[in-house]
Amino acid sequence: MPVILAVDDSPSMRKMVSFTLTGAGYQVVEAVDGQDAYEKAQTQSFDLVLTDQNMPRLDGLGLTRKLREHPQFKTTPILMLTTESSDLMKQAGRTAGATGWLVKPFDPARLLDVIQKVIK
Amino acid sequence: MAETQQESGGSGDSFDLTQFYQIFFEEAGENLDLMEQMLLNLNLETADDEELNGIFRCAHSVKGGAATFGFSDVAELTHQMESLLDRLRRHELQPNALMVDVLLESADASRSLLARHQAGETGEPPSSADLVRRISELASGTTPSQAAPAPVAQPVPAVVPPPTGLSVKGERQLEIRMGPLERPAQADAVKELFRDITGLGEIVDMPSDRADTRVFKVGTSSSNEDLLDLFAFHVSREHVAIRDLGEAVGVGVAPQPGHAAMSFADDPPPGTPIAPAPGFGFFEGAPGAPEAVKVTAEGAEPKGSAKVVARPNAAHQVQPEAATIRVAINKVDQLINLVGELVITQAMLAQNSRSLDPAVYQQLLTGLADLDRNTRDLQESVMSIRMIPMSIVFSRFPRMLRDLASKLGKKVDFVTQGEATELDKGLVEKITDPLTHLVRNSCDHGIEMPEDRIKAGKPETGTITLSAAHQGGSIVIEVRDDGRGLSREKILKKARERGLDVSDQMSDADVWQLIFAPGFSTADVVTDVSGRGVGMDVVKRNIAALNGTVEIDSSEGYGMRVSVRLPLTLAIMDGMSVGVGEEVYILPLSSVVESFQVKDEAVNTVGQGSRLVKVRDEYMPVIELEKVFQVPRFDFEKSSDIMVVVEAEGSRVALLVDELLGQQQVVVKNLETNYRKVPNVSGATILGDGKVALILDTSALVRRSRH
Repeated sequence: MPVILAVDDSPSMRKMVSFTLTGAGYQVVEAVDGQDAYEKAQTQSFDLVLTDQNMPRLDGLGLTRKLREHPQFKTTPILMLTTESSDLMKQAGRTAGATGWLVKPFDPARLLDVIQKVIK
Repeated sequence: MAETQQESGGSGDSFDLTQFYQIFFEEAGENLDLMEQMLLNLNLETADDEELNGIFRCAHSVKGGAATFGFSDVAELTHQMESLLDRLRRHELQPNALMVDVLLESADASRSLLARHQAGETGEPPSSADLVRRISELASGTTPSQAAPAPVAQPVPAVVPPPTGLSVKGERQLEIRMGPLERPAQADAVKELFRDITGLGEIVDMPSDRADTRVFKVGTSSSNEDLLDLFAFHVSREHVAIRDLGEAVGVGVAPQPGHAAMSFADDPPPGTPIAPAPGFGFFEGAPGAPEAVKVTAEGAEPKGSAKVVARPNAAHQVQPEAATIRVAINKVDQLINLVGELVITQAMLAQNSRSLDPAVYQQLLTGLADLDRNTRDLQESVMSIRMIPMSIVFSRFPRMLRDLASKLGKKVDFVTQGEATELDKGLVEKITDPLTHLVRNSCDHGIEMPEDRIKAGKPETGTITLSAAHQGGSIVIEVRDDGRGLSREKILKKARERGLDVSDQMSDADVWQLIFAPGFSTADVVTDVSGRGVGMDVVKRNIAALNGTVEIDSSEGYGMRVSVRLPLTLAIMDGMSVGVGEEVYILPLSSVVESFQVKDEAVNTVGQGSRLVKVRDEYMPVIELEKVFQVPRFDFEKSSDIMVVVEAEGSRVALLVDELLGQQQVVVKNLETNYRKVPNVSGATILGDGKVALILDTSALVRRSRH
């Protein structure tokens, strides 16, 4: 069963993402911010990282950069789930090493669809 | 996983978002509270990045959730707040008091919009258009006007023209209409494009004739085709109409021709037919990206998507915030109720076991002693679940005082102590209004105007202190101020005017108690804050209804202290049990003043059977519980000859009872939920022997004696 790390500081978003993914048969590990996610990534490997951008302590871009430094996460798909749809944000995401982005608010079906495209 | 996906071909529309509403409402509430708190603590001159980011993140989270769960009115308002806060945290604007005010107001408005959604109210929501406009004016760096401008006379875009070069050659003025849109807020993302892309030009909001359509005035040198391509990320092409207004005159910042839209090199080339914005994309060649991806634009109806089925989720990980859980209050109450029953059962067992021979039943009695101890511990633990810190109440005051002090032109520091002190949730809710009243009073009547304070040799800024502390089985909440204090002369004068029986010899404590008389106010000026003559009596009555007491201490010129003492919970009460005939009644111990054996000659009959008793120099009405509750009497040898003096609502009455049975803690049961309202009774309890005893409503008895 593919394991997805879902990172969001908002409990309701986290819950919804987690519910959507577990319902579709994925295993989900939740993290409350980038720092928490990074710590979890030290002890466990994931098939996909789905992260919010704007979070306390460590934001989505920062998390992406730090994960990419690890050999283990070199090729792991990292999707940024964000309300910021601006071009700059996308540029920054690309530079940081993200795989793609998904704009909030999103449709659960679309989330699953996008994840299916990238997950091994 | 693949099997799960194939189980159904339903679309995401069937996904039920409502199950997340409650958690979103709570989260949004917390975010708005946090934002308010941070805004209030914000020092405008020295605001640092961390603070501004924190405030931004609150608005951002609320917006994200609101948009996801379809509360578009909240999303729109918080989006505006976010835009303003974004400019603040980028240091493009300097925060000022006006912004804080508008943001606080918007937080309030968001709360009430959310409350409407939470209550499931439909119909026309209160309009936040004015707030939205004021925020966006502030965000654009102009001073907001107070009233909404009439739609007929829309002023020129509120942008300060640069000192040189009104417009750049080649720049065009466009009117761009976007609509009809399902969520008009999505058009606002277009504005962010203009902010993010240097040289794209200027965009200004214009009034729209339709709610689902946004109209912008744009000054740009980019071609219509480029613009449409750009906008297509947020608003689909067929919903955008561009009208050329001709060469620019007086549009703001000069764009740099040639740079427009250049930074979008990664996005689809101009000219490709654009489907509705996909809302996602992959970076070509990025790690993990699907092979040969362009921006995937499958549109709003993804194919082959899974219908999400709720199922037990064994793989769910322990969440980091598992340190606290949210539980519906009725579950806790149910638990408290059950423990209450357990306490009663335990008491019955204890009573019945007293007659047993310890030598024979030693093991049973030891077990019962253990049960007794464990039951008490259990009860205490369960009670503590309902306890919440006083900070929940205290946190609303900084905002209120800030508004109030600025309205009154006063300077006030607000200090809180003991916010961590815990109190039953039910009490916390009920004590909030009385406390609000006391704090307002302190600010309005206590604290002097800055110039008066300086004249009196005090610091210009007054201090109001709110403190809470546990004392025994009670909580004591104090409201202190270092203002002008109460004036003995004024109160006595006022009392005489009102025909109250007062004398100059009265002790200070007795004089201060006069302000609790109904309709009593010594305020020189009736303000719209307080001082209309309703107030302290209501405060006292509300606190008495919680079995609490109020005390005042004051020194003229130095300030005043109001102490409110409350029991820690409403579910357990210290009671005095009294016997009348075969019945047992419970009196709240907090209202009992004294008791004594009465001689017939001390009781005088006046008027229509009313009786008065003289206690020292005071006459007080006598209430015969036997008559009030029509207690049947079998033993005529015995008669009520014990008086218990109780005080409620500032008056005393003497209750005539047969005997005093003792003091005990009783578990209060609500009669109304189990039976119906009974006059003169506030509740019931079950005694150790299993009998039901009614808890008397002393306030009702006092009121009864007045008629």
